[in-house]
Amino acid sequence: MSGALRYLLRRLIFAFALVVGVSAIVFFLINAVGNPIAMLVAGQPSATEDQIAQLTAYYHLDEPVGARYFAWLVRLLHFDLGTSIFYNQPVWEMLRVWGGETLKIQVPSILLALLLAVVVAPVAARRQNSALDAGVIGGALLGQAMPVFLTGILLILVFAYWLGWAPSYGAYSLRAPLLGSPVLDGLWHMALPVAMLTAFNAASFTLLLRASMVQALRQDYVVAGRASGLPEWRLVWGHALRNAFSPVLTYLGIAFGLMLASAPVTETVFTWPGLGALYINAIQQLDYPVIMGVSVAVAVMLVLATLLTDIAYVVLDPRVRLR
Amino acid sequence: MSALLEVEGLRVSFETARGVVRAVDGVDFQVAEHEVLGLVGESGSGKTMASMAVLGLVPRPGRITGGTIRFEGRDLPTLPAKAWRALRGRRMAMVFQNPAHSLNPLLTVGTQLGEIVRYHERLSRGAARERVVDMLRLVGLPDPAPRMLQYPHEMSGGMKQRVCIARALLCQPALVLADEPTTALDVTIQAQILDLMAELKQRLRTSTLLVTHDMGVVARLADRITVLYAGRVCETADSRMIFRAPLHPYTTALLESVPRVDRVATPGALPVIAGRLPDPAHPPRGCRFHPRCPEAMADCVAHTPALTEVAPAHWVACLRRGSAAC
Amino acid sequence: MKAFWRHLRRSRAGLLGVVLVSVVVLVAVCCPVIAPYDPNDQSAMMDVGANHAPTGAHPLGTDRLGYDVFSRIVYGAPTALAVGLGVMAIATSVGLLVGGVAGYAGGWTDELLMRLTEFFMVLPVFLVVLAVVRLFSILVVGSWLESVPHLNLLMVILLLGAFGWPPIARLVRGEFLRLRQAEFVEAARCIGATGADIVLRHILPNIVPSLAVAVALGIGGAVLAEAMISFLGFGDPGSPSWGQLLFFNYEVLKIAPWSSLAPAGAIFVTVLGFNLLADGLADALDPRRGK
Repeated sequence: MSGALRYLLRRLIFAFALVVGVSAIVFFLINAVGNPIAMLVAGQPSATEDQIAQLTAYYHLDEPVGARYFAWLVRLLHFDLGTSIFYNQPVWEMLRVWGGETLKIQVPSILLALLLAVVVAPVAARRQNSALDAGVIGGALLGQAMPVFLTGILLILVFAYWLGWAPSYGAYSLRAPLLGSPVLDGLWHMALPVAMLTAFNAASFTLLLRASMVQALRQDYVVAGRASGLPEWRLVWGHALRNAFSPVLTYLGIAFGLMLASAPVTETVFTWPGLGALYINAIQQLDYPVIMGVSVAVAVMLVLATLLTDIAYVVLDPRVRLR
Repeated sequence: MSALLEVEGLRVSFETARGVVRAVDGVDFQVAEHEVLGLVGESGSGKTMASMAVLGLVPRPGRITGGTIRFEGRDLPTLPAKAWRALRGRRMAMVFQNPAHSLNPLLTVGTQLGEIVRYHERLSRGAARERVVDMLRLVGLPDPAPRMLQYPHEMSGGMKQRVCIARALLCQPALVLADEPTTALDVTIQAQILDLMAELKQRLRTSTLLVTHDMGVVARLADRITVLYAGRVCETADSRMIFRAPLHPYTTALLESVPRVDRVATPGALPVIAGRLPDPAHPPRGCRFHPRCPEAMADCVAHTPALTEVAPAHWVACLRRGSAAC
Repeated sequence: MKAFWRHLRRSRAGLLGVVLVSVVVLVAVCCPVIAPYDPNDQSAMMDVGANHAPTGAHPLGTDRLGYDVFSRIVYGAPTALAVGLGVMAIATSVGLLVGGVAGYAGGWTDELLMRLTEFFMVLPVFLVVLAVVRLFSILVVGSWLESVPHLNLLMVILLLGAFGWPPIARLVRGEFLRLRQAEFVEAARCIGATGADIVLRHILPNIVPSLAVAVALGIGGAVLAEAMISFLGFGDPGSPSWGQLLFFNYEVLKIAPWSSLAPAGAIFVTVLGFNLLADGLADALDPRRGK
């Protein structure tokens, strides 16, 4: 297993490098733009001399950029991300809350999309070139090509404004929760954003899985399984699917990255209080602790996603373990 | 005594852009109980398609377009899917050419084989495990118990093929179809697998349809031999008769072109059969072999020879050897 | 080459892509002729008023500020194309350089450049670009740069291009590595061709087809990226881009859906067109690539 351990170690180092890299880039960019003191003061016009002095000391603003970054990094390792200038709350807390909201719509959508793909793609692959197959491919291509705001706008127009089945904004009802239950209320609000993300992801997953299944179904071991009397569903979902799954697994990390990167847009369309919306706000307000905090959070989430897919890969394919 | 497997007038055709390809065009053969029948021919002779047809596994766009296949008295091509699932792997099983590809690389040997025996006989996990271990031991796999947890890529080619043979024998089928079981293996391993098959033939006496192009393999294992050419049967006889006194010109040519240790090497090239295989979409009229046959005559083009019993238990399709024309 | 065109014509996706892209280009080129109103014409305010549903005079209605939606859509086309082409020009130049050097030199240079490329591909580029655009707009306040027209848009193009080179670099490097060993390069070397000569006359022409695919995809991606940046409010208020239109009108979605649907649809059609074109080009390159 040492081969796998070494591989994992390499990935961890890369992950760490990524987090450092992202934070460094954002940090130096912010500091390159101008004197942060001026920025901080601009954010709080009523700041007194004392407060400015305090902030300067805390953020090491009178030291060179490198030292400041190092200080920030050290604080990061102690999980101290500072306080938001705009919201006046600890950044760490904010990341937890807003990050949770983002994960609340992204994780279920990936899972639902996988489920959808695993059900639809093998059926389409079995009936290659049939009307069903053509429909599935066409639908998936369309779903993949539609930009986030178009799908979102259409969903809102149809389901929120026209049919009134789901709310069009926010994560919770401002007044009474749906049917008196906060859980149901939350789920009801999640419906449209999750639907949109699921559609987009399911399209990509289905296309990938279908192509892979077509190849897998042609393999000798599938014919051998059939010759041994095994029923078709077992061959398709037990044998072929397992072998066809790896491209989808590889893509999972990318899909998650894409979702995170477009989170600001998704969350603006649905007015969802997640990390993306927080980031936009922070940039507008020049809330630099939050900007740094969100950058790190996103980098960490990306890294965790790729690590998880790497682990899943090793579990799925025994041939990888030898390397 | 009626045969275990009776194939009569089998036709398998493919619709292609170039026309209808008749891979198998009127083939008859039988496999009796406890008998090994060698189905011999070059690639393109239709032998693989014939065996796939028996199992009902002709790949699309091919279909069985004629003839009958009777196994244990039942007509196979008309069976419903459920009956097929009870038959395949249970009453008849197949060993494929390439052991590396016919095993699922992501599952352990024990899981793959266990799945089959549990599906057919509803055994518990423990009982299934026992059966698989016994079978692996039977095919000569050293140390079968730990092997159950191994993946195919952790085994050599010879071991993998043993596993495939074990898979075929799991539910003690009446008929085993083996499609080029040694072709994909190294020469030394080939000999080992042939030894194994000969031993299993002795011990289990399972009927076998052995499909191959290798005369050496049939010499070792087959009781009777059917020779195919371009989708048709040329000759069927007892194995010894085929080797000692072949009747069909194709069979003779085939035997001559195999290098043999006990023959004096003729100075010059190894004898080959002149000409090329016919285009399966547009086969020659009359006898399919006539363009390459050294004894061809005018009648061979005009009339198609029918498979006729010209000597006791010796069937031939050659006008020169006394076959009837059809 | 001829086979290439023949295969392109046979791919239905590719044909559709060509049609869509041509429509967009046509609209972009002829925008003054096609658009009934000037994009900054707010005369509709006196007439049917803002947020009015589509009528004969205003086929796509009016938007929140009284502009004619159809005209603004039409004038958005040249912006979109400018963004797409501009970004890809930068990205391709940088990508060719990085990928070419990495592929041709090999060894440590290659390793280093590839790690760099990988890093930039994993980076959440979009988020970084947003931050830079915002910070840049603060930076220029009070400086001479403020007077440059469409500065914000230019900045966006520059940034997207500066971050868009990794896929091109990877592609170019792959091709260089492959072709470096190719026989005809060896032959050329035997004749005495120099390094630069080999690159220019032998390797580059072979890269063009797959490069074209990547560029087509990249244009679509750039248009989408700029639209998203503008939608979030970081775009250029002065330039009539579709994302900008969406940004202005999203808050009145409920009462005036047409002013949001139109730009969203335009973006969709354009991106789809370029994606399909890329698909068709890829199919033409390698006809064995079945769906």
